[in-house]
Amino acid sequence: MSLTFLLRASALAALVGLSACAPQPKDKEAATSEAPRPPSRWASDPFPSTYTPYASGVTVIRGATILTGAGAKIDNGIIVLENGKIAAVGGAGTAIPDGASIIDAKGKFVTPGVIDIHSHLGDYPSPSMASTSDGNEATAPNTAQVWAEHSVWPQDPGFTRALAGGITSLQVLPGSANLFGGRSAILKNVPSRTVQGMKFPGAPYGLKMACGENPKRVYGEKGGPSTRMGNFAGYRAAWIEAAAYKKKWEKYWDEKDAFDKKKDAKPAAGADAAKEPEAPSRDLKLETLAMALNGDIVVNMHCYRGDEMALVIDMAKEFGYKVTTFHHAVEAYKVADLLAENGICAAVWADWWGFKLEAYDTIRENAAFVDAQPNGCTILHSDDQYGIQRLNQEAAKAMADGNRLGLNIAPEEAIKWITLNPAKAMGVGDKSGSLETGKMADVVLWSGDPFSVYAQAEKVFIDGALLYDRSDPKRSPRTDFEIGQTGQGFTGGAGQ
Amino acid sequence: MRTIILTLTAAFAATMAFAQGTPTPETLIVQNARLYTMAGADGGLIENADVIVRGGVIVAVGQDLAVPEGARAFDAKGRIVTPGLFAPWSQLGLVEIGLDDESNDSSPDGDYPLSAALDAADAFNPNSTLIPVNRAGGVTRAVAAPTPGSKMFGGLGAIVSLTGSSNSIMREGALQSVAMGYAGAARNGDTRMGAWAEFRDAIEEARAYAANLAGYALRPRMTGLSLNDLEALVPAARGAQPIVVAVNGAADLRMLIKTKARYGLNVIVLGGAEAHVVARELAAAQIPVILNPVFNLPEQFEDLAATQANAARLSAAGVTIGFFDPPSGSHNLRLLPQLAGNAVANGLPYAAALAALTINPARMYGLGDRYGSVEVGKVGDLVVWSGDPLEAASRPDAVFIDGRQTSLVTRQTRLRDRYRDLSRGDLPHAYRGAQ
Repeated sequence: MSLTFLLRASALAALVGLSACAPQPKDKEAATSEAPRPPSRWASDPFPSTYTPYASGVTVIRGATILTGAGAKIDNGIIVLENGKIAAVGGAGTAIPDGASIIDAKGKFVTPGVIDIHSHLGDYPSPSMASTSDGNEATAPNTAQVWAEHSVWPQDPGFTRALAGGITSLQVLPGSANLFGGRSAILKNVPSRTVQGMKFPGAPYGLKMACGENPKRVYGEKGGPSTRMGNFAGYRAAWIEAAAYKKKWEKYWDEKDAFDKKKDAKPAAGADAAKEPEAPSRDLKLETLAMALNGDIVVNMHCYRGDEMALVIDMAKEFGYKVTTFHHAVEAYKVADLLAENGICAAVWADWWGFKLEAYDTIRENAAFVDAQPNGCTILHSDDQYGIQRLNQEAAKAMADGNRLGLNIAPEEAIKWITLNPAKAMGVGDKSGSLETGKMADVVLWSGDPFSVYAQAEKVFIDGALLYDRSDPKRSPRTDFEIGQTGQGFTGGAGQ
Repeated sequence: MRTIILTLTAAFAATMAFAQGTPTPETLIVQNARLYTMAGADGGLIENADVIVRGGVIVAVGQDLAVPEGARAFDAKGRIVTPGLFAPWSQLGLVEIGLDDESNDSSPDGDYPLSAALDAADAFNPNSTLIPVNRAGGVTRAVAAPTPGSKMFGGLGAIVSLTGSSNSIMREGALQSVAMGYAGAARNGDTRMGAWAEFRDAIEEARAYAANLAGYALRPRMTGLSLNDLEALVPAARGAQPIVVAVNGAADLRMLIKTKARYGLNVIVLGGAEAHVVARELAAAQIPVILNPVFNLPEQFEDLAATQANAARLSAAGVTIGFFDPPSGSHNLRLLPQLAGNAVANGLPYAAALAALTINPARMYGLGDRYGSVEVGKVGDLVVWSGDPLEAASRPDAVFIDGRQTSLVTRQTRLRDRYRDLSRGDLPHAYRGAQ
């Protein structure tokens, strides 16, 4: 047993991170690029998603205020969910298909499913015990070879609580003890027997990296790094090795292509039969890093201090990769211009601070200041099994503090901080994150304005299927761990 | 010559006393408030209310009060006014940076021998940046208490004001704290049996010590408590001082109820994840509960019944509740109203939520006659809110402590103002707002 008094191991881990745009109304895209890429030779999918949407009919929600996540607010709107997709979104005149089940939602709000870009659910599950602590492979500063999905316990009750908070997708990241923590898992928040049954179809992998205090604290007396300069030496040495590995494989593929081409052509008379090139041996650690260099894996960097973010940006340029999001980013406001110029999102809390020195300079306007930059990209994240249940309130607080300074952030813009912006930053913005025709029907019906502390998610649809209904115990999941336990008599599954 | 020096010294001392906040008979009137007085269980709402504070003490509450001669007037313009918030649990003034030992005095490390004798009043730092940050969030009074290190007792907590002045400790030795449940077991042989045996023994040892100070030193004893610890435990062991007991499971809560009755202790539960299961028993035993109202995960086997309905169920059963938030801790006591709002969303009556932020903590610690509500004779702690105090978007527009308006400028607002404009100026950012 640990000597934790009040702060539970998981909460502490989350806090420590060891577990683990312009002030006028705007119509801007988040910084993340969504340009389709040709399929990469690096891509491999040994643990493929087995998720398929659950059964749903045609559902129409009418009369609600709809915040589309794409920048629009529609009063007295209509949204049609059909075949798991958004079939239509519009005003009161939108056509309602015959045979649709209609939900009258006057006075209520509809938003896209909430997306958390920074979670450790499943890797640091409840119950929080030594036997379930699977979020940090803190055995070496570079563990790019580990994959978060191999630690995810699908029976973590935290997933069900997050569902009741409107979370429909999330990124489960390895912890931040290491310079390179490993690959993330991007999941749909659907109860499943296996992690493969939760994996977001077609989502890219993410890579978790960490700046600052954590790596030096964890490895300072275990061979290093013990300083921030040691951290950077560690990143750069790894990127150099990964670049060489990448080159080796690319050379092999070129030779193999040439060989295959020759083989297909008729062999010239008298020519020696060319020897088939031998594939280099695979290295899981370098493969992940090479894929990050190649743009196949999205780079997520845990970084609190602005000056360190500036150094990381230069390092990414040195090696030709892109940092997509700085996570925690307490000092993003000090370098908000730099982040915007480089198209990097800041994933932040509304107001957490002081648990360590690199988190000392929090300001409540951090999210709003990042957003106020031209092309600024703000994301509200949780890193916490309680915060993930209330990301709407994080956005509400951040919006309110920006507006107290006169930044005029509208709810239809602030909702992007927990929907479209994280979706784009995770590489799934073409499929989810906003209520636009053809996208996944991941939808939350709120009892009231989601920026109110009193609002609750009443119904949560994932790919059109009603997977949580606050008023119907039959639509509220309960995990294997919790079933048959004392708690069951007192509570209502996901809505506990 | 000697006389002159003495006179000057006396004058200097008097000046210093004044500078350090000796109450002056200045008068304040807050007008046109939507006032939750918290007098009575319904929140005691008075529309268009005025409050007069003289010399730090409330002297009148009502409608259309005459403005006293020379009074400073503050027009609330119809905004909601509440008593100052009272945080029932924190390490305020003991911690600046949680993870840095150099700036965290809240708990002893390793096998440091003292426990119950550690006294928050010895270490309390009124200059901590946490104080203005939380004051700007409407918190005017708080418990500042050490937390247990490797031993089960945490030490003596103080009640403090958030003025940031050198005399902000209002009551020393206001409480003792102890880790029980899982946390207590972890400190006592990894078993709850050890935790309860050790707890009973500590109470009995402290009483034996108090009964025979001279003879005690030779008595063989089981506890690892030093004589200093036993001496510090005496008021708690006699029921004269509240013991804040960190405990979550229903079985442990039942044991606590029994133990309280056996020794006549004054106990307050901290945590209480499963308290709703034994709500009636807790109410009958008059045991208040400080809980995190959004705690709804089975983090340990002692939390299996954790639910966001906890606050509502306890309140309905008549248990006095207050709130705390372990993840945000002392740095974000300013988020207590958001927790309260979530409790309301999960069934707690609005007035009960406000009470949990104000009058209830004052009562738990025996200060209900002076703090926690806006009534004649109580201290003039008032918060003027931009909107519904429990809403995520609301912030205090003005905070009064002892009838004096306090500054809402914090290190955080200064950093905000420094970096709001990132353009290169004539001088680096380090020169902006440096004075």
